[in-house]
Amino acid sequence: MKTDMIRRFISENCSADDYLFRISETDSHETRFAQNGITQHLAGPKVSIDLTVTFGKKSGTASVNQADEASLKQLIATAEDIARLAPEDPEYMPSTPGAELPEVHNCADSTMNLKPEEMVAIVQKSIDKAKALGATVSGMCEKHISSSFEIAKNGFWGEDKRSTFGHSMTLKLGEVETKVSYEAKDFAPFKLDHEFDRLASQAEALADMHSFDPQKIAVILRPAALQELLWYMFWMMNRRQSDEGFTPFTDQLGKSFFGEKFSLFSTLKNPQIISPSFTSEGLPTAEYSWVENGVLKNMPTDRYWASKQSADPISPYNMYIPGGDATEEEMMKMVPRGLIINRFWYIRPVDMKRGELTGMTRDGVLYFEDGKIKHAVNNLRFNEIPHEMTRRILALGAEELASPYGIVPTTLIDDFNFVDKTSF
Amino acid sequence: MKYLDLAMNAAESLGAEYADIRIQKTTDQVIYLRNLSLKSAKTIVVDGYGIRVFKDGAWGFAHSNIYSDEALLATVQKAFDIAKLSATVNKDKKLRLAPERSYIASYKTPIQIDPFEIPLSEKVDMMMEVNRTMLAFEGIRQAMFYLIQHKDEKLFASTLGTRLDINYQFIDPMITATAVADGDSQSRTFDEGGRAVGWEWIQSLDLIEKAKQIAEEALIKVKADTLGPEKRRSLILDPNHLGLTMHESVGHPTELDRVLGWEADFAGLSFATPEKLKNYRYGSEIVNFVGDNTLAEGLATLGFDDDGVPGQKWHIIKDGILNEYGSTRDTAMEIGLNYSRGCNRATYYYDQPINRIPNLYLLPGTKSLTPAELIADTEDGVYIQGRGSFSIDQHRVNFQFGGDFFWEIKNGKLIRPLKKVLYKSCNPEFWNSCDAICDERFWRPFGVVNCGKGQPSQTARMTHGSAPARFRNIRVGGSQ
Repeated sequence: MKTDMIRRFISENCSADDYLFRISETDSHETRFAQNGITQHLAGPKVSIDLTVTFGKKSGTASVNQADEASLKQLIATAEDIARLAPEDPEYMPSTPGAELPEVHNCADSTMNLKPEEMVAIVQKSIDKAKALGATVSGMCEKHISSSFEIAKNGFWGEDKRSTFGHSMTLKLGEVETKVSYEAKDFAPFKLDHEFDRLASQAEALADMHSFDPQKIAVILRPAALQELLWYMFWMMNRRQSDEGFTPFTDQLGKSFFGEKFSLFSTLKNPQIISPSFTSEGLPTAEYSWVENGVLKNMPTDRYWASKQSADPISPYNMYIPGGDATEEEMMKMVPRGLIINRFWYIRPVDMKRGELTGMTRDGVLYFEDGKIKHAVNNLRFNEIPHEMTRRILALGAEELASPYGIVPTTLIDDFNFVDKTSF
Repeated sequence: MKYLDLAMNAAESLGAEYADIRIQKTTDQVIYLRNLSLKSAKTIVVDGYGIRVFKDGAWGFAHSNIYSDEALLATVQKAFDIAKLSATVNKDKKLRLAPERSYIASYKTPIQIDPFEIPLSEKVDMMMEVNRTMLAFEGIRQAMFYLIQHKDEKLFASTLGTRLDINYQFIDPMITATAVADGDSQSRTFDEGGRAVGWEWIQSLDLIEKAKQIAEEALIKVKADTLGPEKRRSLILDPNHLGLTMHESVGHPTELDRVLGWEADFAGLSFATPEKLKNYRYGSEIVNFVGDNTLAEGLATLGFDDDGVPGQKWHIIKDGILNEYGSTRDTAMEIGLNYSRGCNRATYYYDQPINRIPNLYLLPGTKSLTPAELIADTEDGVYIQGRGSFSIDQHRVNFQFGGDFFWEIKNGKLIRPLKKVLYKSCNPEFWNSCDAICDERFWRPFGVVNCGKGQPSQTARMTHGSAPARFRNIRVGGSQ
C-alpha cells in the first residue's frame, strides 16, 4: 500500500487543529474445512484508513478502505465535517508527541513465506489422518500478515507489523468431540503430527463417557480454558469503570484482592507472544504488572481518566501468567477428585458488579479420582467469579503458549462452581 | 456496471461451473455518547468486491478493494485458483449447488427519511437531551446512547444470468442508564435491536420518555430484592426478551450448515439433526416458528440472499414439530433438498457468504389473550423484560438466560421488582413448556444486529418477534 503517499496527503490536506490517523492492512489466506472436506476458502487484503480530527475540543472520525486521492479527500472532508458539527468533548485529549518505542519482533518469516498450496496440504493431511481413525475432522488453517501505521499531528509515529498462523482441528469419533488448536505468530514450530497425536489422544481418553451432576469440585484448567476465562476478567478490570462503582475492583487498587499464587502481566520480553510497540492511544508500550502475588497493582486506564486520577495511561496488550512446576499428574494427587477442562465456551457476564461469569465446558471433560483419570463426563455449565477463583488456586503448572496473545499455565483450582449439565 | 459482465465472462472462460460477483459498499455512521461526552462520531466506508468461483465441487473466494479491469481479472483468477486447490481435497466430498433460476431485480429498503441525510448536530443534540434526562435522576451514574446507522449498496451478478441491485438500510438506537447504590450497580436498557427503517422510527419512539422510564427502572432495579434459591416457576417473557432466547435456542439449531457439522470447529453443532425433520416435538402444539425473509422492516429482508435466491417465508417449526431448516444452495443438497431457502448472507464485500438465521419469529396465539390476562392467570412466576446475560452449549441444548428487568408474580399479580434473575433450561424442555402466547395485537419484533458466526468471523442481522408467552415449570432463581 502507498503508505507514504497517504501520510503525505493527509498531512498536507488536513486543516484541523489536531489529527491522528491509522493505516492498516491485513493480507489473509483462510481455508476452512468441515466433515473431511473444504467448505470455505478465501483470500485477499483488507485495508482501513482511519482519521480522527479535532477543532478545539470538537472531534470527528472517518474511515475508508481505499487509498486513491478522491477517497482520501472524502476521508478528510467527512472527518472534518463531523468535527465541526460535534459538540465540545469535555474529555478530549490532544494527540500524543513522538516517543521512543520499544523494539519488538512480531513477524515471523516462516509465516510470511507459507504458501496456499502448503496450507491445503496441511488440511489434506489432517483429513487423511482423521479418515484413518474412522473419524471426521473440521477446522481452519489460516495465515494473516498485518501492517499498521499510527501517526499524530503532535509527532507520534508508530509502525507495527505482525504475522499469525493458526490451525485448529475438531475431531468427531463416534460420540466423542474434541479439539486442539495451534495459534502463534510463528508457523515454524507447528508440527501437524504432534498436534494430531494430541487430538487422537484426547479423543481416546474421552471414549468412556459417564453422566456427571453439577457441583463444586476441583478442576485442572488447561491453558486454553484458563485464558478464555481470564480475558473476560481483564475486560472488567477497567480503572474508570471500577472507580465509578460498576465493577468488583472498586477501591481494591493496591490491595490483596486475588489469590497470592496469582500474578498477571503484559510483557514485551517473551518472544513467543505478540507484543505491540505502541497502543491505540499513541503511547509506547512497556512492561505492565496488573496483579502481583495477589495484589492488584494496576488497571487498564485511558489517557483522560489517567489525567484525572494522576495515574499512568496503560492498556493490556497481551496476557502473561507465570506458572509453577506442578504436572497434571501431580495436581491429580493433590485433591481427592476433580475434573480436567480442555476449553470453555460461550462465556458471558452474569453480574458486572460481582464479576460473575457463566459458560459451558467444551471439547472434553475428564473425571479423575485418587490421582488417576477414571473416565470422561458430560459438559457442564459454570457460574463463577474469576478473581475469587484465583484465591482457590492450589497449584500452577508450566506456562504454555495458549494463543498469539497469551502465555498461561495449567492451573489446579478448588471448588469450581458448576451449576448445570447438558446432555452430551 | 461493466465489472459485473467482465468478471462473469472471465470466470466462465476459465472454466468455472458457477461464479458470482458481489460489489458492495457498506457505510456505517456510529455515534456513541456517554455522560454528555461524545466518545465516538464516526463514518466508516468499506467498499470493494468479492468473487466466488465453484469448480469441481469446491468453492474459491477472493476479494479486492481496487476497481480496475486488471485488479478485477486478477481477483477472478485468484478465486478460480483457490477453488481448484480446494477441489484437490474435496475429491470424495464434492459440494453441489441446489438449482436456481436467474433474476433481474432490484430491492430497496422502504424508508421515509434517510438517517444519513439528518445533520449530525441534530442527532447529537437529541442524544445529548436523552443523556441529560437520564443524568437528572439522582443515583444515575452513567447514561449511554449508542446509535448505529447502516447501509449496503450491492450489485450482484452470477453466471446463471442473475443481476441484482440491492440497497439496504437499518438503524439501531440503544439507551442505557446505570444506577449505583448500596454497593451494587445495575443497568436498564432501551433496546429493540434495530429495524430496517428510516429516521422516522427514531422520531416515533419518544426517546425522552423512554429515557425517563429506564432511569426510573434502573433506580428501582438497583434497590430491588434478589429472588433467592432456584426453584421451578412459571416465566412470562416479553417479546424484547424472547427474541434472544429464540435466536439462540431455535434460530441457530435450525441453520442447516450447523446441522451438517460445518460449524463443528467454532460455533458448534445442532441437536436438531435431519432424521428429526417432520417428527421431532421441538415445542408444544401452540409453538409455530416461521422463517420469513420477506418480513416488513426485517433486518434479513434484502429481496435476495448472496446466492441470488429470493426471500421466502416458510415454517421452521409447525405445530411444535421440527419442519424445515434455514438453508443455502450448497447446504440444501446435502440433505436432498433441491432448493435453497435463501439464507446465505455475507457481512462485508470481503466475506464469503455463509448460512445465517433468517428473520425468525414465533406466531402469536390464535385465541384472544392479553399480557394482563396472562399475568392474572399465573400463580407463581417471574415476568422478564429485555435481554441480559445469555449462554448456550455448542449443540444448542442447555442454556441460561438473564434479563434486563424482572417482576415477581404471585397469585396473578406483579408483587415486587427483582434483580439478578437467571433461568436455566434446555431443548426440547423449554419450548414444550410453552402453554400460552398472547394474541397478535401484542406481537412485537426484536432485531439482532450482532449475530457472530463463522471463521473468519462475520456479524449478521435478523429480526425475531413474538407476543408475550408463558413457560411453565422452568428453573428460575437468583444469580450465585
